[in-house]
This record gives sequence, structure tokens and C-alpha cells, in this order.
Amino acid sequence: MEIFDALLAGFATAATPANLLWALVGCALGTAVGVLPGIGPAVAVAMLLPITAKVEVTASMIFFAGIYYGAMYGGSTTSILLNTPGETASMVTAMEGNKMAKSGRAGAALATAAIGSFIAGTIATVVVTLFAPYVADFAVKLGPPEYFMLMVLAFTTVSAVLGKSTVRGMTALFVGLALGCIGMDQISGAARYTLGQPELLDGIDIVLVAVGLFAVAEVLHAAMYEGKVIDTQNRLGRVHMTKRDWKRSVPAWIRGTLIGTPFGCIPAGGTEIPTFLSYATEKKLAKGEDHAEFGTKGAIEGVAGPEAANNATVTAALIPLLTLGIPTSNTTAVLLGAFQNYGINPGPQLFTTSATLVWALIASLYIGNIMLLVLNLPMVSLWVKLLKVPKPQLYAGILIFATVGAYGMRQSTFDLFLLYGIGLLGVLMRRFDFPTAPVVVGMILGPLAEAQMRNAISIGEGSWMVFLQRPMSVTLLAIVLAVLIVPRVMKTMARRKLQRLQPLDA
Amino acid sequence: MTEPLNSPLTAGDASPPPPPGAAGVPATRMQVAVGAGVLVTAACLAWGALDIPSNSGYGGVGPNFLPWLVSAVLAVCGIFLLWEALSGGYRELDAATGAERADKGAFVWVSAGLLLNAALITTLGFILSCTLCYMLAVQGLRRAAGQPAAGQVRTWITDLVTGLLISAPVFWAFTQFLAINLPGLTNTGWL
Repeated sequence: MEIFDALLAGFATAATPANLLWALVGCALGTAVGVLPGIGPAVAVAMLLPITAKVEVTASMIFFAGIYYGAMYGGSTTSILLNTPGETASMVTAMEGNKMAKSGRAGAALATAAIGSFIAGTIATVVVTLFAPYVADFAVKLGPPEYFMLMVLAFTTVSAVLGKSTVRGMTALFVGLALGCIGMDQISGAARYTLGQPELLDGIDIVLVAVGLFAVAEVLHAAMYEGKVIDTQNRLGRVHMTKRDWKRSVPAWIRGTLIGTPFGCIPAGGTEIPTFLSYATEKKLAKGEDHAEFGTKGAIEGVAGPEAANNATVTAALIPLLTLGIPTSNTTAVLLGAFQNYGINPGPQLFTTSATLVWALIASLYIGNIMLLVLNLPMVSLWVKLLKVPKPQLYAGILIFATVGAYGMRQSTFDLFLLYGIGLLGVLMRRFDFPTAPVVVGMILGPLAEAQMRNAISIGEGSWMVFLQRPMSVTLLAIVLAVLIVPRVMKTMARRKLQRLQPLDA
Repeated sequence: MTEPLNSPLTAGDASPPPPPGAAGVPATRMQVAVGAGVLVTAACLAWGALDIPSNSGYGGVGPNFLPWLVSAVLAVCGIFLLWEALSGGYRELDAATGAERADKGAFVWVSAGLLLNAALITTLGFILSCTLCYMLAVQGLRRAAGQPAAGQVRTWITDLVTGLLISAPVFWAFTQFLAINLPGLTNTGWL
């Protein structure tokens, strides 16, 4: 009942006219950002981070959560209607969604994506409501060694497991950690890598890195490599689902939610695995006529499941963010940066020290989901008009907003030059298929992990054995090793099996 | 199905390996350059780490521990990247989208927009500086898209007006409503 009371109090805070307006503007902006190619939620939140200087913390967190959420809804619209999916989260949706749209069923695909997102988002929010306080209670008992190990786990999964190549993932992670080192060391106050520049003493802002890597790099890449790419857009048609569509969608939504939620809860992050898993499940379970639609006319389950899985993961990812202070994606990393701007460090204490904020944020997720359903179902044709904005003007316009974000933070022209440099780095990373999430996560989590590590070793009186002397930290270390080793062993076994089979085939 | 699976340091699903020879000689050279770049970065980080004090206080590790760790791991990554590049190219590489070769002209236009914006924002003020950035960047993007009308006076004027129509309301919204400091040409808060 305690949770229920807290949630009610949260609704009371979130439902004031001003906060409702922030939520609505956030959801609308998020949807627009999701629909428009070129900018995602991480960069949208990053560009708007300067508002944290003036706007009160609850209002701005509600606003940012709206953008975070809205972009997920908007992203599916683009991936269904355009032949180029926007971000990784909607890549799977694009596979079947685009086929459905090509065979004239764009409306049904959009409807199942929006309703599935709503259902999964709401169920996952209930999970956040019920479990986050318990995780926080548990997390209070963790000491620096355990925290450090949790962060190492997050680093490992983000860089080594989720990406395609471990070397490139690790390179990206350590580039992020190096960026995080720049500035004054928070424990000893020693200056690191400041090159004598006073601007660098404060460190590099997360806004610069996020906006540079995503927005500026995207614009440069579009100009350099994508000038001749022509997008074809599918016709929208009527947003409507038949009885058969419903019958096929409902179980897929539920299964997608069940697959997605646990993936969000663990500090591992990434929507690729749950969405692909949901897609594979739906394809396997579909029978007869429905199965034949996969990859040909486009099967509605292939849109409903992954979309639900995506939203469930994204919502549940708030649990590690709020209770442990561990971000597992670009957007949650930037959200952590927003908290830090207010001097708030998400973690187990958040539920006691900033209870009003946390519960208002959770309540706003329920409200935001309803707003987004309304914004995305009846009004979808409005958002589709955004796809008509010509690319050159859109991308050049993004640069103006990038300037606001980068300059508005610290009013330094030095930052604008740095922004360009990071943009170039982003183009290079994109050309050579380096993942970007490890850079952002490494940069924001690196200093926190370093502090925990040094505290842990102080506790162990200078001995590294402290990580092996505590049961929780040893367990976490074992998990880290397992996520590093198990996939490799399985791959080797699969290869051996393949080699055994090949002579038979030949 | 030979090289990619043999690499000890690749993870991920069983996506089909890139066809052999897809990455030509220039691509290899670029990959070698990237690997070397990572190595140089690692060396620079190590060189910088020499200046960081090692006083560790109560704990066994001081502020220079992480920098040394980062430079060491990046050095290992750089060596691996070099090795991959020289033995058949990066593993599990998704071909980047879009054209094979960069459009250098477009790159120069967009870069000029961004760098002039950085250089001039405090003198010209946010609105004019961003409008200039917009005009140069959109010019580059139009040329990249092969728009025949890109260089015409009419297009330039349209872009000037569009640039002003985007940057002016952004400036007003941020300075007037959100009270964020952005530089103006005048002190009126409107330009």
C-alpha cells in the first residue's frame, strides 16, 4: 500500500497543469524527433539539457521522459513508412513493417505498433512501480566494490556483448573513458589531460559528446555520403486493424512485453537482443498462412512483438537508471547527465531523498503513454507530413539546434570547435562501424566507476583482494566473466558442429 | 566462412561474413590508418599520464591509474585493429550506408558553416551566425544531392530567409522564455 500511496502522490505532482503541459510538449517533441530522420532521443535530450539551468527539476525530468518515450513511438512510424529505418530500436520493426506497408497495410502496421507500444509501456511501467523500490532497498546494502562490479558489468555488455566486434566495442568504450578522464579528478583534484586549457578543467560536457557524435556527425555523414540516396515513401492508408489483426497482435504484444521487460531491468542495456528475440519467437510460433506472410507480404506479429519488446525494454531500463544510477543506453546516459546537472546522483538513495521527483516521474510515464497513444493513433497523418521536410533543409536546421545545445551549456566558443572535432570522430566511427553507445556510456559512467573503484580499494586498505572477499562482488565478477566467455564458447561449439556437418553436405 | 569465425575477439550473432575482397586495397589502407590512429591516441594518453600525480592517499590507486589503464587497453585495441586490417580487414564489418567515396565539396561547405559559426558567434550574435551556418551547410547538402538550382541567387535568398526563420525563434525561445544566455549582436535580447 505504501507504494500505492507514493504513486498517488506522484500523480498529484505530475498532474498539475504546468507539468501536464511539459509532458505533452515532451511527448510531441519526442514523436517529432522519432519521426524525423537524423536525430534520435539521446541527441534531442542532449540539445535541450541547457534548460536544466532554469527549469525546475521535476518539470524537466517529466519533459525529458516524454521525449525519451515519444521518440520510440515516432521511430516506428518512420521505419514502417520509409525504406530506411532510423535507429537500431526500430530496425526489426522495419523488416516486417515495411513489407506490410508495401502491400498496402501501413495503417494496420502503424496501429499495431502504437497500441503494442502503449500496452508494453504501461505493463513495464507497472513493473517499474512495483519493483524499483525493492531494488532500491536492496541496492542500499551494496558497497563500493559491488557498485564497481555492476558498472564493469554494464561496460562489458555495452561494449563487448551487444556490438558485433569486441575490439571495436572496447575501443569505443575506452575512448569514452578517456574523454571522461579529462578535467579535474574528483577525488584528488589533480588536473588530467587539460593541456593547460582552462575550459578543459571542468571536463568535456556530455552534451558536446552526444550532440557531436550523433547530430553533427549525422549531418556531415549525410552531406558526404548520402547525397544521392533517394528515399521512397510508402502510402499511409487508413489506420485500422481488422478482427484477424487483433487476434494475431494481442498475443504478440504480451510475448514481446514478457521478453522485453527483463532485458531492460538488468544493467546490460540495448534493445537489439530483445527485439530480435521477439521477432524470432513470433516467426517460430506463426503457422500456416500467417507464417507465409513473414518476409513476403509482411506479418503483423513481426511488427507487434518487437515493438512491444522495444518499449518494454526502454521503460524497464529506468529501473537500473533510477535505483543504481547505471545507464545502459545513449538516452539513459544523457538522462543521467540531466540528473547530475541538478546535483542529483541517481542511486538507491534517490527513492528516499528525492521521493517526490521519482514518483512524479513514474506517474508521468503512465500519463505520457496515454498521451502518446492519442498523439500517434488519430494524429498519425500529421506526423507523417514531417517526412516531407526536404533533407538538406532538415539537416542544416539540425545544426542550429546543435549550436544551442553546445553553446547554451557553458557559453564557450571553445566548445563549438570541440563539437566539430567530435562530429568528425563520429563520422569516422560510423564509416568503420564502431558503436557509439559505449563512448557515451563510458564517458558518463567512467568517472563514477573510477570513484567506486578507488573507494573500494581504500576500504580494502590498498588491496585489490577486496573485490574477491565479498560474496556479492565475487558473484558479479563471475557474471562479468560469464557474459564475456559463454557467447564465445557457444560460438566455437557451433563452428565445430558446422565443421562436422559440412563434410556430410558435400 | 573462414576468417571472421577464426578471430578470437569477435562476438555477435551469426551474420554472414562480408564477401572476400569486398574491402579493396584503399579500404585496407584506411583501416590500417584507423588502427594506427588508435595506437597514436594510446601513446598520447600515456604521455599525458606521465604528468598526472600518483599520490594515492589511503587507497592503493591514485588519479593516474585510470589514464594508464585506458592507454594500455587502447594500445592493445590498436594492435588488434591493425592485425585485423592487415589480415583480411575488420571482422564482422557492416558496410557503411551511402556512397563509397566522400563528397569532398559538400564536406567543405558543411565544415565551413560549422567552423565559421564557432568563430563568429560572439561577434555576429547567435541569429546571424547560425543563419550563416545554415546557409553554408544547406548549400553543401543541396550540392551533394545534385540539385541544379543550388548555386542560384534565388536559392541563396530562400535559404537566408529560412535560416533566419529557424534561428530567430530559437534564439527568442531560449533567451526570453528559458533565460539561457546566447550571444546577441545587440544587447536588446531580440537580435
